[in-house]
Order: sequence, then C-alpha cells, then structure tokens
Amino acid sequence: MKKMMKFSKSHYDYLRKYRTKKILINLTQISILVLFLVLWEVLTKYEIISSFFFSSPSKIVDTIVQLFNSGELIYHSRITLSETLIGFAIATGIGFVIAFILWYSDFLRKVLEPYLVVLNSLPKIALGPIIIIWFGAGSKAIIFMCILIVIIVTIMNILNSFTSCDKQLIALAKSLGANKIQIFFKLILPNSLKDIVATLKINVGLSWIGAIMGEYLVSKAGLGYLLIYGGQVFNLNLVMTATVILCILASLMYFAVALFEKLMNKFYD
Amino acid sequence: MNDILVDIKNLNLIYQSIKSETKALEDINFQIKNQEFVSIVGPSGCGKTTILSLIAGLLKATSGEIKVLNKTPNPKDDLCGYMFQRDNLLPWRTIEKNIYFGLEIKGQKNKERKEYALSLAKKYGLKDFLKKHPNELSGGMRQRVALIRTLSLRPELLLLDEPFSALDYQTRLELCDHVFEIIKSEKKTAILVTHDIYEAISMSDRIIVLSARPGKIKAIHKTGFKSDMSPFERRKTDKAKILFDQIWQEIQNEKNDEI
Repeated sequence: MKKMMKFSKSHYDYLRKYRTKKILINLTQISILVLFLVLWEVLTKYEIISSFFFSSPSKIVDTIVQLFNSGELIYHSRITLSETLIGFAIATGIGFVIAFILWYSDFLRKVLEPYLVVLNSLPKIALGPIIIIWFGAGSKAIIFMCILIVIIVTIMNILNSFTSCDKQLIALAKSLGANKIQIFFKLILPNSLKDIVATLKINVGLSWIGAIMGEYLVSKAGLGYLLIYGGQVFNLNLVMTATVILCILASLMYFAVALFEKLMNKFYD
Repeated sequence: MNDILVDIKNLNLIYQSIKSETKALEDINFQIKNQEFVSIVGPSGCGKTTILSLIAGLLKATSGEIKVLNKTPNPKDDLCGYMFQRDNLLPWRTIEKNIYFGLEIKGQKNKERKEYALSLAKKYGLKDFLKKHPNELSGGMRQRVALIRTLSLRPELLLLDEPFSALDYQTRLELCDHVFEIIKSEKKTAILVTHDIYEAISMSDRIIVLSARPGKIKAIHKTGFKSDMSPFERRKTDKAKILFDQIWQEIQNEKNDEI
C-alpha cells in the first residue's frame, strides 16, 4: 500500500543533506575508536606509557586468542552471561508481577511504599556477607545479588508507569463497566509498553553490575573472577581483556533488547 | 409506561472528604421521556456532571431514587452511553479498533455488533479514517469517533458531558449539528451537560437550570422548536435570544447570591 511519489528537487536536496550528516556521524564515531586504538598501540609499543600498566590492543588480541584456544574464554563468559541472564529474567519477571500486584491493591501499595524506598536506597553490596552465608559461595549467591539489584528498580519504574495512566481513559473504561483486569490489559499495559522497554534497557546494565559485583564477592569462575584474579597477580592484559569481553557481551544484550523494542513497535503500528 | 426513560425522585447527594462534607445535590426531581433531548445548565460546580454520574450508576445517591427504565442504574447494564469532554481515544489503537473498545469491554465483540459499529462509522463520514490513528484526525472528527464508539453499544440513553467544550468555535457549531442529526436519526434519548447556554437552547427540548451548590432545580424551560430545525437554525431565532436572556439572568442571580 506504499504510495510511489515523485519528490521535488528541494526534497532530494534535503534527503541528501540528511544522509550526508548521518554518514559523517558514523565516520566520526569509527575514527574515534580507531584513533584511540592506534594511539594506545603506538604509545605502549614505544613505551611512552608503560605497556605493563596499560596493556595494549595487540596484547589484548593475543590474550583473547590464548583464552579462546584454552577454552577459558567460552567457559568464563558462559558462566557470567548465564548468571546475568538468569538474574535479569527472574528480577524483571518477578518485578513486573509485584508491580502489577501493587497497582492492583491500593492498600498493599501504601503499606509497602516506605519499605521499597528504604530497599532502593540501601547499597545492595552491603548485604554481601549475608548473601554468602545464606546461599554459599557459588552461582546462587551471585544470581541473588543480581536479582536484588535489578528487582527494586524494576518494581519502582514499572509501578510508576502503571499508576501514571491517564485518569480520564480509566473513567471511560469504568463508565463502560470494565473491571480492574480489563483496565489493566486494555489500558494500563499498552500505555506502559514504552516504559517497560525502557526499564528492560536499564535492567541490562544493572544485571551486569549485579553479576560482576556478585563475582567479586564469591566466585571461582566468570569474567568478574578473571578481573579480580588478573588484578591480584598484576596481569593487566587479563584485566583489560575481561573488560573488553564484558563490553562486547553487554552491548550485544542491549542490542537484543533494542531489537525487541523495534519488533514491538512494528507490532503496535 | 415505557414512555418515561429516566425518573428521579427526591435525590440528594453528599460528598465525603477528609476535611469536610459537601452537599452537592439537594432534592432533585425530574423525568425524561423517551427520545427527549434535555440539557442541564448552571453555574460551575453546581453538580451538573454529578447528576450524569448518578444516572450512569457510577455514583450512589445519598438518598432518594433514580430509575432508568424502572431499574436502578448500573454501568454493567447497557442502558447508558457516556460521552466525555475529551474524546478519550486510545492513541495506540486505530480508529476502527477504538470504535470496538466498548464492545471489547462488554464482551460483545461479535460479527453482528462489529458490522453495526462499522455501518454507523460509514454512515457518519468516518469511512476513510478507519485505519488511521487518533493523532491523524481533527478534534471534531475524534469527538465523532467517540460518539460512534458510544452508539455502537446501542444505549437507550446518551449522557453527554460537555462533549463540545474542548473544540474551537467553528468545529463546535458544526459538530453540534452533526451530533444532533445523529442522535435524532438513531432515535436516542440524550442528556447534555454544558455551560454554553446557546448550545443547550439549540439542541434540547427542555433545559434544566440548576442553582449554585448545593445544586437544586431552579427552573425548567421548554424550548418548543420544530423538530426539523437544525441547532444552527435554532440559534438564530428570536426565541433563542429571549430564552438565553432568561437563563442567563437566572444563573447570574445565583452567582450574585454566592458573593
């Protein structure tokens, strides 16, 4: 059903300008990265800055290849990634359900509000010792730490979005005799979709924080473990490599959420 | 006895809030006949909208009796169709799906009902807009969609709560004519709440004037226009001017009493 249209010359000019600008932005982005890597490589190669303290791009590549060949790269990445994904999924899911319950029950929302505020401002890392004692020094503790960090923000963001739905739309639904479940599925949920996706994006970052923090506390494996271990033995190559891999994994996860958002927007248009 | 659609007797309403009790309506009595068009006017805050909410069953009276078709009103019945000042179209739905919104809530989204809703939409000039989203339509068009959404539930009684007041003057006059025509040709009964006296005069058979809070019935006027006159034509008559002066004076006196 797309209409074919002939555009005026001025419109073509406008489009060209728009495209040129976009290309320029992309080019600049790539050049900054390349410049940074080249500078890093050259400065460390001629020992203008110490390659021991700063590592270097070529050494990082070497380390990645080494880790990959020994199977450690996949092993550690998989552990951290699975902890992050599990924490992300459980916290987002349960957070959503709790937000729904608190939206549904005015009474519960008012009762629990101060508790949420306190839990939100508490630095979750402070609970580290308790978590280790309860869950042992393993993956369970890490996932729990991850959930703890993600879930409170999820509840607060989504609940806030649920309660900010236009009162007049709700009045309309009520005048039609809608019950609360209908109001939720027909109004609240579609109205909050954008905020829910935004929360997912925030949760990607938070769940990585949770998993790495958990690994700092207790782990014997994972990218957080590599970071701590590398730091302790002054192997900066390892530290930098783990950081790079983290960067890559986190952005992949972010793009997955962004893709999900695109699909959903298409579905709703 | 089916001729009387709405019957209100000795109606009182007191609002409770933490700081005080507010008497909103006092001893309201009136009846509305089938296919009659009645307007309610009065100073702001006099309880006009409250009466509509009571008739729709969204509020409970403190004392007194309301019957719509001899039954106590309940929003679950399909007797009343409510139309608001704002069109309240859902921005993420197309016009067609917005029209079905009421049917979905009532669990009546079957083929026959959908076809009826679509036929209304087509009959009243929305045919080309069905696949569009609300933000692509003008205010007047959107309000028309809201009316079709309401009518698709086949209500006996339309409750119009200042449905034109958010529109610009030009659109308002046009839409008045349209809505009037639609309501007459679908043979519906309607209650219009408005603060625009001319709007009330031009559309209704009777006008109820309420006093300042607590709202009491101060006067009821019959307009007595011929039924084939459009609201626009009615506005221009001398009769409308005389009625306007009369009602204006009544409302003005109320305001002065308040001061």
